[in-house]
Amino acid sequence: MTPRLTAGFALVTTALLLAAPLAIPQQPAGSEPSRVVGPSRGRALAGEVLAARTEEVAGLLRCPVCQGLSVADSPATMAVNMKAQVKELLAQGYDQEQILAYFEHSYGEFVRLEPPLRGVNWLVWLGPVLALAAGGAVVAWTLRSRRRAAAEEPVVPLPGLGPGPDMLPDDPELARHVRRVRELAYGWPDGRPPGSSS
Amino acid sequence: MSEAGVREHKPRPLNQRVLLVGLAVVAPLVAVLTMNLGRNPHVIGSPLVGRAAPDFSLRPLDGGEPVTLASLRGRPVVINFWATWCVPCFQEHALLVSTARSLAERARFIGVIYEDSEEQVRGFLARQGSAYPSLVDPGSRTAIAFGIFGVPETFFIDAEGRIAAKHVGPLDAQSLEAKLRQAGLAP
Amino acid sequence: MTAAIGRNLVLLALLVSTVGAVVAAATAARRSAAGWAWTRRLAYLFALSMIAANGLMVWALLARDFSVSYVAQVGSRAVPDWVAVVSLWSSLEGSILFWGLVIGAYVGVATWANRDRHPEYMPWAVAVWLACGAFFAFLLAGPAQPFQSVSPVPADGAGPNPLLQNHLLMAIHPPFLYLGFVGMTIPFGLASAALLTGRLGHDFLRPLRTWLMLPWTFLTVAIVLGGWWAYEVLGWGGYWAWDPVENASLLPWLTATAALHSALLSERKGVLKGWTVTLVLATFLLTILGTFMTRSGVFNSVHSFTQSAIGPTILVFLVLALAWSIALLALRIDRLAAEGTIEPALGRDSLFLVNNLLFVLFTFTVLLGTVFPLLVEALRGVQMSVGRPYFDRMAVPLGVALLLLMGVGPALPWGRATPAQVRQALVPPLVGAALLAALGAALGVRRPWTLVALAFGGYTVQVTLRELWLPLARRRRAHGESLGQALVEAGFVRGRRRLGSYLVHAGAAVVIVAIAVSSTMGESREAQLRVGEKTEVGDYTLTFVAVDQVSEPHREAVVARVAVSRAGRELGVLSPRMNQYERQREPIGTPAVRSSLFEDLYLSVMNIDPASGQLDLLAMVNPMVGWIWAATALMALGSLVALVPSRADTRL
Repeated sequence: MTPRLTAGFALVTTALLLAAPLAIPQQPAGSEPSRVVGPSRGRALAGEVLAARTEEVAGLLRCPVCQGLSVADSPATMAVNMKAQVKELLAQGYDQEQILAYFEHSYGEFVRLEPPLRGVNWLVWLGPVLALAAGGAVVAWTLRSRRRAAAEEPVVPLPGLGPGPDMLPDDPELARHVRRVRELAYGWPDGRPPGSSS
Repeated sequence: MSEAGVREHKPRPLNQRVLLVGLAVVAPLVAVLTMNLGRNPHVIGSPLVGRAAPDFSLRPLDGGEPVTLASLRGRPVVINFWATWCVPCFQEHALLVSTARSLAERARFIGVIYEDSEEQVRGFLARQGSAYPSLVDPGSRTAIAFGIFGVPETFFIDAEGRIAAKHVGPLDAQSLEAKLRQAGLAP
Repeated sequence: MTAAIGRNLVLLALLVSTVGAVVAAATAARRSAAGWAWTRRLAYLFALSMIAANGLMVWALLARDFSVSYVAQVGSRAVPDWVAVVSLWSSLEGSILFWGLVIGAYVGVATWANRDRHPEYMPWAVAVWLACGAFFAFLLAGPAQPFQSVSPVPADGAGPNPLLQNHLLMAIHPPFLYLGFVGMTIPFGLASAALLTGRLGHDFLRPLRTWLMLPWTFLTVAIVLGGWWAYEVLGWGGYWAWDPVENASLLPWLTATAALHSALLSERKGVLKGWTVTLVLATFLLTILGTFMTRSGVFNSVHSFTQSAIGPTILVFLVLALAWSIALLALRIDRLAAEGTIEPALGRDSLFLVNNLLFVLFTFTVLLGTVFPLLVEALRGVQMSVGRPYFDRMAVPLGVALLLLMGVGPALPWGRATPAQVRQALVPPLVGAALLAALGAALGVRRPWTLVALAFGGYTVQVTLRELWLPLARRRRAHGESLGQALVEAGFVRGRRRLGSYLVHAGAAVVIVAIAVSSTMGESREAQLRVGEKTEVGDYTLTFVAVDQVSEPHREAVVARVAVSRAGRELGVLSPRMNQYERQREPIGTPAVRSSLFEDLYLSVMNIDPASGQLDLLAMVNPMVGWIWAATALMALGSLVALVPSRADTRL
């Protein structure tokens, strides 16, 4: 390459580099996602997938105006605008966590409908799991202790003092009542656990 | 007293397990509820206070070059998000206009229009007067970046571009002065 | 004048309930017939004074008597009479007054129904009831007075919140909710009585179950009515948002359902009595927590009232009620002797324990999620949200597990089951499971949880149908009766509780499956249309035909007329609208819903401009939503069938 060509080349390159910022379309006012969450990490989406993902991600954001609804469901103008921005960010290739972090930067943790996994928030995610484990342990222990209690020597009536199976009245209605009373008093309809000797 | 054939049953005076479990469940719940009495759950603190203000580039209502936050550096900036349909915005407008005029170059005032039509805003400003540019925010992108829940909300930015204070609701003279001081306005 | 009478009625109620509680407690301690007679009289007088106070308020609302403070607050000459009556419960003071009405009526009826029975329990129960009644009378006399005098008398009032005038359901949902919520006071009194006397026998478990089941029925219907209202009125297409106040109504329902099942086992086998009373007490405590959540203004909810002095007052009552319950349980739970034992092996008995576990876990999870933002606020000073995505994620496995349990439990025999019996019981319903899951898959269901819900639903429905059929078949075999006769005899005459309970299970299974399908298989589309343009969603073609503007006394509405057709056939015109109320800036949309057997076509206006003729339409196809409402009606029917008392049940 001749020196003139090199200089010319350098001049054109410099001019292009200086002009480049003017050629790039203005960033939409207010959105500086790359400054807040870094460059986009995911894949740029389009079409049906974009629409579906917009609903999903917007469903994880709380509408600041109608605070009982998600951005996906809320009819408020602010929510409509936020959803449009979610769509734009997804189209630019930002992933879900980046988008949620971007809105959290402006609005605070309040705007996330699912508590992010940090600090004290672990309690709300692990709490039900731990409660299930604890409850399951209690149920298992209860059943096991009953099994043990049933296997142990059950209450045996002293010989001669407990009712015998033949000591029932003839009247069937009355007999039924007597059995019921025995069940209440002794725990078993015949006054003794089944299988024990009379 | 134990009767033959009846299961041994010695009722203790106090079931400690029930007592402990009950208190363990109930005490934190009552504590949390009590500690939150008197607090308004709809008022959300802003995480942006103390952080660099989000940059923007918005067109003024009357036309002209887009105004960027970077261009306002060097002195305290007051950014007021407002709308014509908002009654408290109307209440604070006169105060903002007069303060902007009296402070002249010592602090910059900017209004950002929130979910309103340009025509309405022009009419309002023509009637009520204005002393600083009102910027158009398409798609409320700047409002979202500033974490706006409603209007009016006013941000006080210091000379380095950091948000020194935020005011939710209509401004009064005292708050305005106090927050301008926080943003570094020399007395 | 009216206000003064009202105030005096409230004071009378307060006096009578306080004195009555003391007299009842004294009667319980000392057992006297005269004491019981006076207790009853005071209970009836409390009921009458509350009924009179409410009657007076309704009259004042209808007469637009603005000298009464509550009428000045919510009354209006512009609203129709039904709205005037409904405003009784539309704002804080009136809603407490309505609470007083319901508790008075319940206490009166419950006392009268048990006037000759359970003499060792009843005075304690009435004492507890009247103590609760006294608290609400105290609220009416103190922090939440509806009968203050207003002077000078204003010419007109502002009327109730416009959202509450939108739909007739506003007239039905709150009364049902109160009948459910407030009704839980009665089993609370009965359970307290059981603990105080140290006995909970078969004879007292029956009224406990009955008086638990009655408010449970109302509460079930009320919760679903709330969902129906949100669906028909609010326009976002859903029916449950896990809002704190919605959760407040769900929490006592969960523990009440658990208590009903636990009480069943207690009645049959004499076990789990401690669990039963604990769950009943928890149900009442959760209703008080629920009313605190709604009225204290501490929770971020769309339903909540603004903060006032009432919040701390209810909290104090809650703490007292909690202290009472814990003390009573700690001191007396051991006295409730078990009369039998739970079979430790796999069988229906042990599954009741699992049932208790799952419901308590569900309650804990919802409560934790609802209160958690307050906890974080107290610890970190930061506001955060625990919203719908979290609750959906937690509720799905729990709901599905309960669905399966509803099938496995009744399938297994009572007591110890041999492996052969277990196989015989648990294997055949797998056919139903496979069928329904296959049907779902064939119709396009791909999400794993939905398929699981369908499978478990098919399983449970088959078990339930079999359990419903068995007594009929047995009767036909034994007596040779026709199907109709067998149904009447085995179902209604002899086995009402059984029939009713299985109807409830059938309804519940359908509700859970319908919720699973409707939340995951819906389709939605947003379209910007000009007049004449069309769009498609599901099988439907929607044509935007015209814009109308409708003027009503309290609102201006812009209506979008949308013609609906499917496969070329015209199906009619739906008219979703956007309502602009004077008092609010953001307009509120009313959706238009076309329900057919398997799905709803749901249209909602997001934005409409009559000038340019531009419509922003949200169109959804929601499958099986109508089944939720219908199946809930089946649950209510089953519950009512089970509630009809029968002589057969009193036989040993």
